[in-house]
Amino acid sequence: MSFPDEFLECSAINYYGNAPQGHILEREIVKNPTQRVEKIRNQYFETKSSASIEFPYWYTRKWEELEGEVPIVRRAEALKTGFEHLTPVIYPGELLVMGKANYLRGSYPMPWLSEAFFLAKEDEMYKEALEAGKVSSDEVTTMGQGGGNVTKSIGNVISIAGKFGMRKEEMPMLLRIAKKWHNKSVDDIGHKYEQLVPGYSTKEEIMRAVICMFDSGYTLPQGREVMNYYYPLQYGINGILKICKEKIDASAGYPNMDRKYFYKSIETVLLGIQKWIKNHADEARFMASLEKDNNQLHEYLDIAERLDWLSHNPPRDFHDALQLTWIFHVAVLNEDAISGLSPGRLGQVLYPYWKQDMDEGKLDKEKTIELLETMRMKFTQLDCFASMGVVGGVLSGNTFNNLCVGGLTKDGNSAANELEILIMESSITCDTPQPTLSLLYDEKLPEEFLLKGIETTKVGTGYPAWVNNRVAMEFIMENFKNEGMEMEEARAWSIGGCLETSAGSWMPLEFNGEIHYIPGGSAPATSVGVHFISVPKVLEAVLYNGIDRRTGRRVYPAHGKKLSTYEELWETFKEYFSLTVEVLTLTNNIQHDIWGKISPSIVNSMLKPDCLETGKDISHKGSRYNRTFNVEVCGGVNLVNSLASVKKNVYVEKNFSLANLKDAIDSNFGYFTAQETGSYSLIEQKRTEKYEDWLKIHSQCLDAPKYGNDESFVDNIFRDWQIWFSKMCENYLSLYNEPLYSCQISVSTHAPMGAVTLATPDGRLSGTTFADGSVSAYPGTDQNGPYALFNSATCYNHALSQNSQLNMKIHPSVVAGREGSKKFLEMIKAYLRKGAFHAQFNIVDSRMLKDAQNNPDNYRGLMVRVAGFTQYWVELGKQIQDEVIARTEYEEI
Amino acid sequence: MKHIDCKYYLPVDAFKGLCKRDKNNIAADDESCEHFEKAQKCKHCFNFQLTTDDMGNCMKKYDAYPQLNALTCTDFHWN
Repeated sequence: MSFPDEFLECSAINYYGNAPQGHILEREIVKNPTQRVEKIRNQYFETKSSASIEFPYWYTRKWEELEGEVPIVRRAEALKTGFEHLTPVIYPGELLVMGKANYLRGSYPMPWLSEAFFLAKEDEMYKEALEAGKVSSDEVTTMGQGGGNVTKSIGNVISIAGKFGMRKEEMPMLLRIAKKWHNKSVDDIGHKYEQLVPGYSTKEEIMRAVICMFDSGYTLPQGREVMNYYYPLQYGINGILKICKEKIDASAGYPNMDRKYFYKSIETVLLGIQKWIKNHADEARFMASLEKDNNQLHEYLDIAERLDWLSHNPPRDFHDALQLTWIFHVAVLNEDAISGLSPGRLGQVLYPYWKQDMDEGKLDKEKTIELLETMRMKFTQLDCFASMGVVGGVLSGNTFNNLCVGGLTKDGNSAANELEILIMESSITCDTPQPTLSLLYDEKLPEEFLLKGIETTKVGTGYPAWVNNRVAMEFIMENFKNEGMEMEEARAWSIGGCLETSAGSWMPLEFNGEIHYIPGGSAPATSVGVHFISVPKVLEAVLYNGIDRRTGRRVYPAHGKKLSTYEELWETFKEYFSLTVEVLTLTNNIQHDIWGKISPSIVNSMLKPDCLETGKDISHKGSRYNRTFNVEVCGGVNLVNSLASVKKNVYVEKNFSLANLKDAIDSNFGYFTAQETGSYSLIEQKRTEKYEDWLKIHSQCLDAPKYGNDESFVDNIFRDWQIWFSKMCENYLSLYNEPLYSCQISVSTHAPMGAVTLATPDGRLSGTTFADGSVSAYPGTDQNGPYALFNSATCYNHALSQNSQLNMKIHPSVVAGREGSKKFLEMIKAYLRKGAFHAQFNIVDSRMLKDAQNNPDNYRGLMVRVAGFTQYWVELGKQIQDEVIARTEYEEI
Repeated sequence: MKHIDCKYYLPVDAFKGLCKRDKNNIAADDESCEHFEKAQKCKHCFNFQLTTDDMGNCMKKYDAYPQLNALTCTDFHWN
């Protein structure tokens, strides 16, 4: 069913202040990249996301050949064969080269992890996956229809997962490879063993109901973590090979033989990476042989010389170091499906090289910015190949490469440096989604550095995210103290992925005869654990005695309670939620254990301290810190608002009964559902003829206290939820025998999870998108201004959780000019000083977003902050677009 | 022959690419020009045998397909 536009007109965007008049206000800060990078960016805008099967073909071919080999060595040989057979491509104008696959925006499927989702839907194997709930989220996800997404098959290009284009001639081999991995992939073997968990059937029902979004144990087995570039920078590839040789000699034949296989695996993959680099050097020479333009010819030859050098040696200068960090970043991405592999505090890692070049006059500010812009383009070109539910429903096509600036040095001083100023400048001149930036705010950071952060924020791209250094350090100290974390090392933390606080270490980089302590990640993936639980959907199951009302299937054992008190309702919610976490923790542990056994990380393990020293890969706790599994939830604010509504209306004021409420929910308060209208925000819904039957009860639900207004009635519920949730996570142990902790980012899950959830007691309608993040107010419900929202958000200790997440939308007029910048900075400081962990901002006129939704062709470069990431507007699904448009827009601060 | 089969074809995405010689945008499936030279692909390899329209084998022991790039394959020999 569809409706004319007049029914869907955005009649009441909720403003705090006066609704803006006149023309749509453009950005205040607009700069452009260099001509070279502008050309590369324009080429990117014209490029479609494309997948190739070169790497999986060669990987699978070698894997099959080595049946019976030691698993980690077999895996290493397969990876090596993949790397050395990737067809090299070098594009004109590039200063940094190499990528995931042989396309500008290339990626590839990894059937050794999971093969089901790219099988044909009529295939029996796909039907099996559907039955097991593995692809349920695919069915309720909408993919962005514009930009680089290949949403439908055209000519000789086949659309996969609504995003990736693959050449038709590769499809038969893709299907053949997929079938080769049937019952051998991490997904399939994990599935075989996860069924041993008592109560496993509940897990399948949870997945079918989309109470949980995906199996994190194999879907994205790495990521949401921080890279560590120390070893390649310090030793170069030859140096690491030498270490491996020595370690093999020292371990061969001795107890703990696994060390030998691990070192052999590193050696093997490094040889593949070396060949991969050399192949690109050869290609650069071939391109030079065809080149008539003298400048371009010399650039190709420079690229060839640099790659030849780096295929063996550590970097000599900034350009070398930037290229080498990029090579290893991609090398990690090519070993697994990974989202959120963050470069971390790259400006501090590369500073010694940059300082040398600046002092010697080899670099200047302009050349630095151009190099950084080209780095931005390389990161922006990254894609993560995964299923519709994951790449669309969770990731919105984003890859979450978070680059952090600021924070503290090893000895506790401001770590901000001039290179980081240029990193921010390059993200203004070349405003692309990747890498996103986070500013690790500390009172010790210079004011001008912070104002540069404000200038960057005012560009309107949503970065940097403003993150509280001290709150993060408190979290790090608390959660890693049992593994020996000390205050000095806690300062090396950084953000992995959207907003995952990740442990780091200081590594002693020796360069030009001096030791520079550089920060880098020293803990593995936080992408593993229980991801994501839709808490409003759990509450729905409580109201309906354990049934998923949408499908009619029983998810949880019937509780059989009358729910006659609020306390009984709350206790029952906790029981269902706990059961969810328990079963998903156990099944995820099994999935990830299988990943470690048959498809372990080799490249990333090599990079992470202290795997290379100890001879243990990540899956054997080789990392210095290993407490990284978490429980992620979505829709927390809708849960809290719903609990407040039920408490007030049903139990305190007795305005209506629980049975009345359920009737109203069943009738969607007299509205059409979001699926029926095709609109996913509360402000754009259409009434049915029976609207008046439910008007009173709906008004009472909407009028109940809402989070974000500094009202103790609802904020107390919010605090109770936060404290209980964070504490209960510790009852569950990860595969590595470490307690879980809470993580509160929505990414894009608030859209598909909202889509399968009935109307909620807070007045939200069926199918509409949940509130984003964890401390963002539900759109339009924060009516008392930003400081009231801040008070609500900080009513509990944010260091209890790996993060909190606050998105705000501010009209550009509010922060205009230098005075506006200072006012804006003071507002952020005020929030962080209250103990908040994080805030980020869309500085945008909502009318521009509405216009962009109607006229996407005019807005190819427009970006918005969704949750912990920035994405091109045209590549977002409508569910998320509607939610961002509906967010409260502040016109006064 | 198509651009996509040419040695000078630089793929940008699954639909299109650049000509390495003149840097012009070209569609993968358009007819090639007079400068066409065969790209190293399995279908031109001595070791490749076609078994169906779109699949074959390599050295009689590995699955392979005719359009697979073979620039980096050490076993490639022009047929």
